[in-house]
Amino acid sequence: MTTVLYPVLFGILILVLWQTKTLHAILHTDTFTLPLPGRINAIIADNFPTILGNTIVTVRVAILGLLIGSAAGYLIAVLVVIFPTLGQGALAVTSVFTAIPIVALAPVMNNWTKDVSGVVSVRSAVSKIIVVALVCMANMSINAYRGLTEVKPFSEDLMKVLAAKPVKMFTKLRIPNSVPYIFTALKVGVPSSIITTIVSEYFAEYLMGIGRQIKENILMAQYAAAWAYIVTACVIGIALYALLMVVQALVMRNRKAR
Amino acid sequence: MKKIVKTRWFSILFWVVILAAVWEAAAFHVAATKRNPENILPHLYQIIAAAFSTQKVNQSMTATQLVLSSAATTVFRAALGFAIGVASGFVLALLMNLSGIIEKIAFPYLMIIQMIPILGMAPIILSITGSINVSRILIAAILTFYPVATNTLAGFKSVEKEKYELMASYAAKKRSLYTKVLIPQCIPYFFTGMKISAPMAITAAILVDTLQGDGGLGCVLSQSLRHAMSISVFWLIVFFSAFLGIISWKLMGWLEVMFTPQKRHLSKKKQTDGKDVELCTKEKNRSGKSFLKAGVLQR
Repeated sequence: MTTVLYPVLFGILILVLWQTKTLHAILHTDTFTLPLPGRINAIIADNFPTILGNTIVTVRVAILGLLIGSAAGYLIAVLVVIFPTLGQGALAVTSVFTAIPIVALAPVMNNWTKDVSGVVSVRSAVSKIIVVALVCMANMSINAYRGLTEVKPFSEDLMKVLAAKPVKMFTKLRIPNSVPYIFTALKVGVPSSIITTIVSEYFAEYLMGIGRQIKENILMAQYAAAWAYIVTACVIGIALYALLMVVQALVMRNRKAR
Repeated sequence: MKKIVKTRWFSILFWVVILAAVWEAAAFHVAATKRNPENILPHLYQIIAAAFSTQKVNQSMTATQLVLSSAATTVFRAALGFAIGVASGFVLALLMNLSGIIEKIAFPYLMIIQMIPILGMAPIILSITGSINVSRILIAAILTFYPVATNTLAGFKSVEKEKYELMASYAAKKRSLYTKVLIPQCIPYFFTGMKISAPMAITAAILVDTLQGDGGLGCVLSQSLRHAMSISVFWLIVFFSAFLGIISWKLMGWLEVMFTPQKRHLSKKKQTDGKDVELCTKEKNRSGKSFLKAGVLQR
């Protein structure tokens, strides 16, 4: 009971402080840079179609990038299990990609994808998707590799004793074992894919997308509108995370025994 | 010979060579088809040549000098923010472990914080604080704070019940319970948090640089993207910031080995490198989180 009550009370306290401008006094700021929650809500309600359009652009990039990157990462992990000698190095090189700052990756990708399509929205989306995919790929490949190799003790030996073919080894043992690890990777991947999308939108050519709108509105000193997009971004993040939790519960419903 | 082929370093080198070869092949293709190949994909030797050239890119500095001096500005702020974030993350985890009420209040918000696009909020934080330096430090600190706090908390929660019972049977004070058991046990988790957040702090500092023109890597990056100076500076910065991100992550691994003697022993014995060990702690971390939920329920 108190587990729910305390955080909710804390949230209400912050909102009240914010709405009564006490928060502004603490932070030495004004309602121009930090608009009241009521005003942000009103802006979201008034501009709902525009915000929705930008949201779709961002969410599409984030999800496609996450899926492509995760699939590629999983494939890498499978290949590493099959070819362990050279694979170890590939895993290390992939993991290095997570450490590369997005700010360095995004402009490079913009340059590389200039010829993909004549349409700005398409080539811009492709460049953003590649950045998101690269960031998610490393995370997935490391987790999936662990899921594919850290099987229950002796189960690998049992498969060998039963003269299981390598393909059977994958379909019956390794891949089922890796499912919880996939979700571990996705839990990190969902927030990071959204943040990566938003940051790479700062550098993108195409003018749609939540990150781009935050930047444009701030350049035009419309902080209230920028806040509306920030709130939207948080809502997207929480919604996608909740969706992931539902999918996880559905997929893993028969695995409670673990 | 066969032994060399089997080592980890050989396979890493193998892939680095392949990546370089793919880059070069693409660079030849771009050079043959594009009017300004250096904007899209310069040859690797061109980038290296730019790093060692003595030609000045602005009034006073060569490309390398410019990149290094602006990197010093960026890294200093990133490091300061990182240190503040690590300290406050650790303190919050400690407080959450000490007090059930604080834990109940803060835990859901720790989950929500990672959904807030802090990097997207950079311009707003800039206008609230009014100073680019303060906001740079602040954003690096916020980004660092979350992974350190959650990982450290998971570390505290990973302490087995038997250890508590043992300490209770010694009639140990709370203080010695923390200094002898809880804090030593959470150190690997704490370092996992730092490894995740160190490259993030660098990214944050570079991104905040792009907002205002007072030096720093990001500022020079956006200038060279607009062709205000030689494009080779852009490529140097891309490679150098990638290098910074990787080195900051490695540095945390080295620090961890320095502070945990048992790990040093392990790495000597099994030749496991930092990566594998880090993964182990991540795994423990996961079970730590479920343990944590159990802990909440028990109370």
